[in-house]
Amino acid sequence: MSTHEAPTREHVVAMVAKILKVEAAKINGTDRLREDLGMDSLASLELLSCISDELDVDIELDEAMELVTVDDACAFVNRVYREQRQGASGSSS
Amino acid sequence: MKRALVIGGTGFIGVNLVDALLAEGVAVRVTTRPSSATLLLRKRNVERVPGSLEEPEALETAMRGCDTVFLAGAYYPRYSLDLTAACEEGVRGVRNACEAALRADVPRFVYTSTIATLGPPPPGRIADERDVLPSMPEDSVYRGAKWAMEHEIEAARAKGLSIVTTLPGGCVGPNDVRIGTNAFLVGVIRGALPWFVDGTVNMVDVGDVARAHVLAAEMPSGSRYAIGGHDLRIRELLERVAQRFGGRVPELELGLEEARERASADERAAAPKRERVPIPREMVDLIGCGQPVSNQRAEQELGLKFTPLDEALDRARAWLARLKLVPNEPRRNDEHA
Repeated sequence: MSTHEAPTREHVVAMVAKILKVEAAKINGTDRLREDLGMDSLASLELLSCISDELDVDIELDEAMELVTVDDACAFVNRVYREQRQGASGSSS
Repeated sequence: MKRALVIGGTGFIGVNLVDALLAEGVAVRVTTRPSSATLLLRKRNVERVPGSLEEPEALETAMRGCDTVFLAGAYYPRYSLDLTAACEEGVRGVRNACEAALRADVPRFVYTSTIATLGPPPPGRIADERDVLPSMPEDSVYRGAKWAMEHEIEAARAKGLSIVTTLPGGCVGPNDVRIGTNAFLVGVIRGALPWFVDGTVNMVDVGDVARAHVLAAEMPSGSRYAIGGHDLRIRELLERVAQRFGGRVPELELGLEEARERASADERAAAPKRERVPIPREMVDLIGCGQPVSNQRAEQELGLKFTPLDEALDRARAWLARLKLVPNEPRRNDEHA
């Protein structure tokens, strides 16, 4: 995926899989990031760093730490991306 | 200081050092690896450049144009299982950074070591930065590797690199991404610490350590500063955390040898899956060699003032709450008395 394309669900799951070194196919949307996938604080910040760098979006740490499941993470990334792209196009028009 | 490079600027001391440098109006460059947790840097006005301690050429490029280089992210053995490998990796990284600094003609290099490299003082005074262990401590991977890395630093200084060394105690406070020393707070507050070993520890607010680095960078080459902070017994520290934030001190107290064996066994079991252990062997070793350390030189020459311990613990707890590792609102044990 090129740097600033809209994030797909597959892309977010692939990033989770890469950080946790597990197969993407084994990750379910309802998996809990901490309890089921064993994502600790470092892995969480690695994931958020990866997302923010690849999509060039700013993520609020406190908000991101509320995420529970993989589905939550996918929805969150999409929302942040849309909001920040709309904000950017609004401010440049 | 006008432009500084921070190696390890995404780590615990590193992010706080970045903040301290920015507060002084210094332009900051930070090396990052593809796997670095860069989230905390995105909202800070820093230049990010690729580089790691395994890439001497990238380090040299990153150092060009900087008047000060901080090596705040040297090797830190995750498990204490292989002294030789830890020393080799640690020394290689330090050597790569120092040789790159010599080639880039960096005017000043600041190295973050640890008070764990200090030995016992002569009779009549408490330990300070002068008390360098004469030989490598071979009973601790962490201390051994850090001693060897400091030895490498002195070799680089002999080759002409202008170096100041800081020796922090156990840091607590915000931006601890890997949850290092702060982990004991989580263990106590959650009531999940299975055991403890008593001994002297030196706890310091990471913000004080960051400021000490900035101030130390202006001091003559060869200067060393112990930044131990507050000396106290582990039992007292754990009780203080439980009293202040809730939780419990473990009932099981182990002797030093038993604690070493237990921590090592936990690490051997955890290493294949890269899992965390409740109490790392390195922590036991630090307590085992723990001693009161004087902050006098840092206070007198750098003008460093230390944050009160309770305030430092409050800052650490607030960070852990942001990461959802402890409850948002502390529950003091005395509220339930």
